[in-house]
Amino acid sequence: MSGKKNRSLTFAARRAFAARKGEHGLSGRALVAAALALCLCSCSATRTDKRYFVAFSQCNNAEPYRAAQNALMTQLFAAYSDVKLAIADAQQDNSKQVAQVETFIRQKPDLLIVAPNERAALTAVMGQAMEAKIPTICLERDILQPNYSTYIRSDNAEIGRMAGEFIVDYLKRKYGEPKGKIVQMRGLLGVEGEINRNGGAKAVFAKYPGIRMVAEPVADWIQAKAKDRMTEVLRAQPGIDVVYGHNDPMAIGAYLAAKELGREKEMAFVGVDGLSGEAGGIQKVKDGVLAATFVYPLCVDKAVEIGNRILREPGFKPEKQYNIDATIVTPASFGAVPKKR
Amino acid sequence: MSDLLRAEGIGKRYGGVHALRGASLALAAGEAHALVGENGAGKSTLAKILAGSVRPDAGRILIDGKAAPIRNPLEAQRQGIGIIYQELDLFPHLTIGENMVIGNLSFREAAWVDFRKVDAFCRPFLERVGLRRGPREMVAELPIGQAQLVALARALSMRARAILMDEPTSSLGEDAAERLFGTIRELKQGGVSIVYVSHKMDEIFRVCDRATVLRDGETVGTVEVPTTTPGALVRMMVGGADELRADWQSARAAVDNRRADYQSAPLLSVRGLTTRKLRDVSFELGAGEVLGIAGLVGAGRSELGAALFGMDRATGGEIRLRGVPVEVRSPAAAMRHGIGLLPEDRKLQGLMMDMSVLENGAMASLPRMSRLGFLSTERERAALLPLYRQLALRCASFSAPVGWLSGGNQQKALLGRWLLVNPDVLFLDDPARGIDVGAKQDVYRMIAELAAAGKGVMLASSELPELLRCADRILVLADGRAAATYTAAEATPERIMAAATGARS
Amino acid sequence: MRKLRDSQGLMALAGVVLLAIAISPVASDGSRIFLQMGNLTDILRQISLIGIISLGMTLVILTGGIDLSVGSTLALSTSLVAMGLTRAWPGAGYAAHMLYAIAGATLAGGLAGAVNGAAIAGLEIQPFIVTLATMIGIRGLAKWLTNNANIDIGFGGDVAARFAAAFRQKPLVIACYAALAAVFWVLLSRTVFGRQVRAIGDNETAARYAGLPIRRVKIVVYALSGLLAGFAGVLYAAGNQQGNPNAGVAYELDAIAAVVIGGTRLAGGKGSIAGTIVGTLIMGVLTNMLRLGNVDSNVEMMVKAVIIVLAVAVQRQRRMD
Repeated sequence: MSGKKNRSLTFAARRAFAARKGEHGLSGRALVAAALALCLCSCSATRTDKRYFVAFSQCNNAEPYRAAQNALMTQLFAAYSDVKLAIADAQQDNSKQVAQVETFIRQKPDLLIVAPNERAALTAVMGQAMEAKIPTICLERDILQPNYSTYIRSDNAEIGRMAGEFIVDYLKRKYGEPKGKIVQMRGLLGVEGEINRNGGAKAVFAKYPGIRMVAEPVADWIQAKAKDRMTEVLRAQPGIDVVYGHNDPMAIGAYLAAKELGREKEMAFVGVDGLSGEAGGIQKVKDGVLAATFVYPLCVDKAVEIGNRILREPGFKPEKQYNIDATIVTPASFGAVPKKR
Repeated sequence: MSDLLRAEGIGKRYGGVHALRGASLALAAGEAHALVGENGAGKSTLAKILAGSVRPDAGRILIDGKAAPIRNPLEAQRQGIGIIYQELDLFPHLTIGENMVIGNLSFREAAWVDFRKVDAFCRPFLERVGLRRGPREMVAELPIGQAQLVALARALSMRARAILMDEPTSSLGEDAAERLFGTIRELKQGGVSIVYVSHKMDEIFRVCDRATVLRDGETVGTVEVPTTTPGALVRMMVGGADELRADWQSARAAVDNRRADYQSAPLLSVRGLTTRKLRDVSFELGAGEVLGIAGLVGAGRSELGAALFGMDRATGGEIRLRGVPVEVRSPAAAMRHGIGLLPEDRKLQGLMMDMSVLENGAMASLPRMSRLGFLSTERERAALLPLYRQLALRCASFSAPVGWLSGGNQQKALLGRWLLVNPDVLFLDDPARGIDVGAKQDVYRMIAELAAAGKGVMLASSELPELLRCADRILVLADGRAAATYTAAEATPERIMAAATGARS
Repeated sequence: MRKLRDSQGLMALAGVVLLAIAISPVASDGSRIFLQMGNLTDILRQISLIGIISLGMTLVILTGGIDLSVGSTLALSTSLVAMGLTRAWPGAGYAAHMLYAIAGATLAGGLAGAVNGAAIAGLEIQPFIVTLATMIGIRGLAKWLTNNANIDIGFGGDVAARFAAAFRQKPLVIACYAALAAVFWVLLSRTVFGRQVRAIGDNETAARYAGLPIRRVKIVVYALSGLLAGFAGVLYAAGNQQGNPNAGVAYELDAIAAVVIGGTRLAGGKGSIAGTIVGTLIMGVLTNMLRLGNVDSNVEMMVKAVIIVLAVAVQRQRRMD
């Protein structure tokens, strides 16, 4: 289905654009003729043997965590020659993602995977997918109603709690008692990950009156925004002890902001994601930029595993939810990072 | 003796229209050669082809008897042909000196700009054309008459052997025009030839040796000017019987008859009108009277119209309509009081070029032509078509964009707008400028009819013959002041000229 | 002349539609996915919001101006309607509550537009600059009012949820666009106001000499643009089930693109509502065609850019003749 179509797209496009450059009605007529010819060609196209079409609606390729998701999904599905994978990037725009999912539904994929940009906006359209009898996997972020076949997640509340505990220990070691000033760099509001990483940590901090949250800027998971927000906070706040970023890029952005003002030694930076590679959180812990990070599973391996079972086992009913654990990474833990990413 | 310049069988098409078809011109050395024709006859196109900015589809050009294809303006310059466009091609935000040396093959430019060299180069030519401005002044700050002189100085500095002038006096006052004629005489003596593209018979007969007449893109003939008459030239241009003389005479008769119809009290009475430009102007206008407004360029003719029409703020003075003082603060207010203005530049200030004749005609009367806010094309047609018939506006379609019409028809379209408004007082600012002979006659006829209907008409014009023909009285402005008023019987060109220049200290 | 231009736009639209049909993937029952009624109505719904905004933008551009603030106005409107619906109105029934919220948000958009118009017409500042400033300011206002947080419109039985359920319906959204398009088509082509708009864009100086109420027309034009953006914001809130002060980023560019592709000249004076609708449809069909072909969304953006340039070039070519 795909190869021939892509070639005919560029061919038709070139002819169409060339034809439209001409004068008056002639260009319109040439265009019509070209398109009709293509119609006739495509009609006689024969289809090959059974191919599974898997559609993945990703909310924002621009986040490194999500780029890693895309890469892993492509790699895992590539092992299956009968699976055709299409990934759409909504560039953090709800309307775009809804439209992209709608278009996927039209194409009747055998499996639909959605990483929703925001809970409210994507709920209805995923319901439409379910109504169209398309098996739908909700990946990592949730929606307002259970309009999916299964939801694969990692426990963000648990991560929030672990982060909170780590920070409390750090402060105890620094001051001898649990007190200090914390800046929380928040992700896109209303997203499950943000809600729970925030809530989990705050539940821990609530027990210690000496620990104060002095600023909570929102940086939408993006490093550049975090750097700008942190600069503003640094100008307003004199002594900061810990910066807790809901993801590594934001924590790193905060670090860069502090470094520019010469205050990076004053505070500790904690992130979440723990991606490997040069730009990933694990390297940053090694380099001493981050005091700790939490390997937040991509959830993709589980998604591919369950997805394949949905595709190939006709009677298979997945569980409503799959939870995958997270682990903390600190300078102490080198060598103990799980290989499977 | 071979001609300096010969153009033979020149053809040029724009789309389906032949702008030129077998046009020819022979120019001898040291002569001033007029190129005449109605609007649309192809004069400007032929001039542009000779100057290299337009490429002909057919024909050839010979210089000193040798074939010389002129492919672009630089080649024209090399062949010694210069041109002064009616719409000047100067750079407004550069200085006079910069304008003169840009693209000028006679000025050796180095990588660095040496302003002293530029000044030295320019000064003699600026003096020669009588422009008392320095080479470092900005062209944008010059009035258009002086800018035209810069263009002439530039052509001279290019050591042109033939200079094409497209309607050169259209923006010049009388004294500047005189200086131009003197310059032309000097150039002729120096062996330089002038191609003088113009409508104006009096100038042609003053300055030119020969005249070539174009009609509908073809050369009708070439005549020796001293041995012919304006009537004969006009006949060649128009190709029809000479109805013009009879027209003129009957128009004069109508003017004399009209004087008997005036009402006793003045329709419009202006006392001490002062604006940025005008100073203490007073005059009266009776119903059924045509008041000509004369003056040099910059004397305040257009400003008077703007003040009466509410476009310019009056800082002093009083305007009375039928004895009642009125405040005119905006064009809409002016129209409500019954004052209308036909602006000087129909392209910039008058017409919406993409809209149709009917749409333009209804533009100032929309509330009347509509029903509950909805347009009514039936009402517009019913009201405007008779007016356009009166004006003899002939066009293929009244729904086609006005930008496609000839200058004369465009002016009629604009006039129609004001006829529909039907104000009591109508100020016409140079209504017959840049339109062909036939359309001019229609405009003059309309002015006479307006006056006969009891309107007060003010006619501002730079052409004295026009004023002398149409006006009952002539108000002469100079430097923003009312210098003199003459009745039609008293007015002569010399008196008007004297008043127009007399206020200068 | 106008007929030739309109038919050129329609031929381009027909060409794009045929192309989309030609390369449309085929469903298991042999039908072309592009032609499925569900897909075609999807396209109509997906273009409705930008389409509504483009109607106002057509008028603005016809006067020779531009309105860069419509995306931000949409954001403000979504926030206001969500805030209005999630706040209690004692004594008001569901219908009245919805009406107040919708009217409030839409009128707020109109007010923002009127501010634009007053600055442009009264202070005589260039439209680009004024609307650039309000683009920034209005979004700041939206963020401040909502504390930069989204306001969820849930799925329960409260007034907000009912509002969303009612106003997200595909037929309703498309009908709103169609109705507004019809109204504005009549407004532009058949009323005195419409002609005044075109005249001012054609030659503002001449319009002044003809005594047209230039200031009043400009204020109304920008107010209408804001009003339409406000209404689009209401539909956006229903469709996305949230008030979002970060919504609508770059929507003004999509609207301008639709207007320009539809044949309206950026300098003003020439253009039509019909042309804008065709331009909007062309963009919508093109986007859908590329998505059905699973073309990368970044390539989508590049294709859009090429189309815009081509459309303008073809129009200029024709004008030269």
